[in-house]
Amino acid sequence: MNLWTKLMCYSRRRSPWLFHMNGGSCNGCDIELIASLTPRYDAEQLGVRLEGSPRHADILCVTGPITHNAVNAITTVYGQVCGPKAVIAIGSCPATTNVFIDSRTLAGPLSKHLPVDVFVPGCPPRPDAIIQGVAKAAEILAERAAKKQPIAPVVMPLVGPGCGDACACSCAAPVVPEASAVKATANPAAPTASEVKL
Amino acid sequence: MNILTMLWNNLRGGSRTMLFPARPKETKGFRGLVRFDPALCTGCAICKMRCTSRAIEFKTGKGIFTWSYDPGQCTFCGRCVEGCKTHALSQDAECPPVYTTIGELKQSYDVVRKPTPKPAAATTQAAAAAPAPAANPAPGGAQ
Amino acid sequence: MNLTTALARLLIFPGLLFAVPAAWFFLWAERKAVALMQGRIGPPFMQPFYDFIKLLGKSTPPRGGIAGMLMKLWPLLAVSAAAGAVGLLPVLPSSGGFEGDLILLLALLELPSMCIIAAGFSSRSIFGEIGSAREAVLSVAYNVVFLLAIVSIAASQHTFRLEALAQLPASPLRWLGVIAILICLPAKLHINPFSLPNAEQEIYSGPMTEYAGPELAMWELSHGLEWVAATGLVATLAAPYIGIWWLAILVFLALSCLVVLLLSVVAAATARLAIDTTVRFYWQVTLIFAVLAVSSALFMRLRS
Repeated sequence: MNLWTKLMCYSRRRSPWLFHMNGGSCNGCDIELIASLTPRYDAEQLGVRLEGSPRHADILCVTGPITHNAVNAITTVYGQVCGPKAVIAIGSCPATTNVFIDSRTLAGPLSKHLPVDVFVPGCPPRPDAIIQGVAKAAEILAERAAKKQPIAPVVMPLVGPGCGDACACSCAAPVVPEASAVKATANPAAPTASEVKL
Repeated sequence: MNILTMLWNNLRGGSRTMLFPARPKETKGFRGLVRFDPALCTGCAICKMRCTSRAIEFKTGKGIFTWSYDPGQCTFCGRCVEGCKTHALSQDAECPPVYTTIGELKQSYDVVRKPTPKPAAATTQAAAAAPAPAANPAPGGAQ
Repeated sequence: MNLTTALARLLIFPGLLFAVPAAWFFLWAERKAVALMQGRIGPPFMQPFYDFIKLLGKSTPPRGGIAGMLMKLWPLLAVSAAAGAVGLLPVLPSSGGFEGDLILLLALLELPSMCIIAAGFSSRSIFGEIGSAREAVLSVAYNVVFLLAIVSIAASQHTFRLEALAQLPASPLRWLGVIAILICLPAKLHINPFSLPNAEQEIYSGPMTEYAGPELAMWELSHGLEWVAATGLVATLAAPYIGIWWLAILVFLALSCLVVLLLSVVAAATARLAIDTTVRFYWQVTLIFAVLAVSSALFMRLRS
């Protein structure tokens, strides 16, 4: 591994930029995500920045069981995030739809629509658990840089020309099999709190 | 100038941040992961019925049943713990860990059903208990 | 100023070789100071460098046509303008200069914000357009004070040469000008209370919404270089004349860091103001400074 790849690996681990999307959640997990930026937990010590545009972010944080209304938005935004990217499902809802398991308004758990890399369970998860999840996702991005996996191309415009629900064009974002490739080689060690070496 | 005093106090007093990966300790009543004790479980499946998010699964077989629990599905409400008659379930003050594959945290236990008490002991106990109500005069008259 | 001096100033000191690490240092210093004042720890020391390297490794969305080419052009233009502005600063005592380099410095300092405005419009995104419109209004608002202050200092001393201005003995007008520039700096550098074009929750990063990857890295770099240029301008105007070159460099660095700290305190202590309040603030300040500056400039010119 040459110097530039090592540097890129290290920088990807030390600079995770987040974009947060709410897929129909009760806002509990959203509040805990914002709480992780407050002085007590201070996600900025890991270099985390909550960005305003999906184009700027590396990691998409999704909360909430994915409702029918939210599916298009979430897949569109996933297509807009520039590679290399990772997805974190915050809370039990996006992983397994939690208590809303029989609801008619849901379009299924998040893994049905996007390749999810990290799940942070809890209802809501504590801010320190969310930070652990972000650190794990940053590690995954660094591992991908080390393995020199190809970066998926970005296809979605930010605001499509007249893109609405009735869009007949091929606006469906391609679901990139980045995460599944990593899952096959993922670290099968115990999922207990992985102490990230800073 | 209140804000400037606040900023100065913050600068002087140092940060109150917990350095990663330190985590704050959970309080005593924190409702965390559900713990299962196979020795105490009688297989009544009340916990499965009460579970709000279907995190507990219960499958019976011949003399053996499987109890499984997925912390990724759990909402940590504690209804299963409340409903368990034999206190086989308890909630630890522990957060579930971060994971990368669905179903990674699921725990399954195969429990052999305990034998029920024999009927012979029951009849002698019933005979011993029968004269007792007749000996005591019923205060409220006939039942 | 001959070619070698010019190239040395542009590329080595205070040009690119010094300015780029200084830009990362100032960006870190501002984030760290704001974090400490908010009771947090803040990012580690090399954080802007890691951000830069990481951004270089990201992919960009495909963009076609003239708009795509223009979008690639604006960040490069902004970086070169900001680097040129830093290179023009008269840090060393006898570094030469040319007649009118103050005007060139002002133009170069103005260019990054023009590039931001143009970038927001060429990105064809509605958030970009709103952000660019706000940036344009902000630019009109603070530039009146900024240019008025600098031009009145220059006119009162009969010179438009930066080096001559830096070496003059201090006068009340110069301090007035420095204060006026300090008031404009939060708007120029997009920090609170005038951080309107970056309003994240309102307009999704404004003009930068469609930018990604290496282009975004160039924007962050140009932002850092703007910090160095703006604080350097204040430092060179406020510093007295020092003949020894290494002492001059130390004083320049110390004064720049002081300005960075001052701006961080302002950023931590205030919240973002809306556009109408911002414009009203600057045009009211302008009135006071306009009267003071023009009258004292005329007075000094008449006296001398």
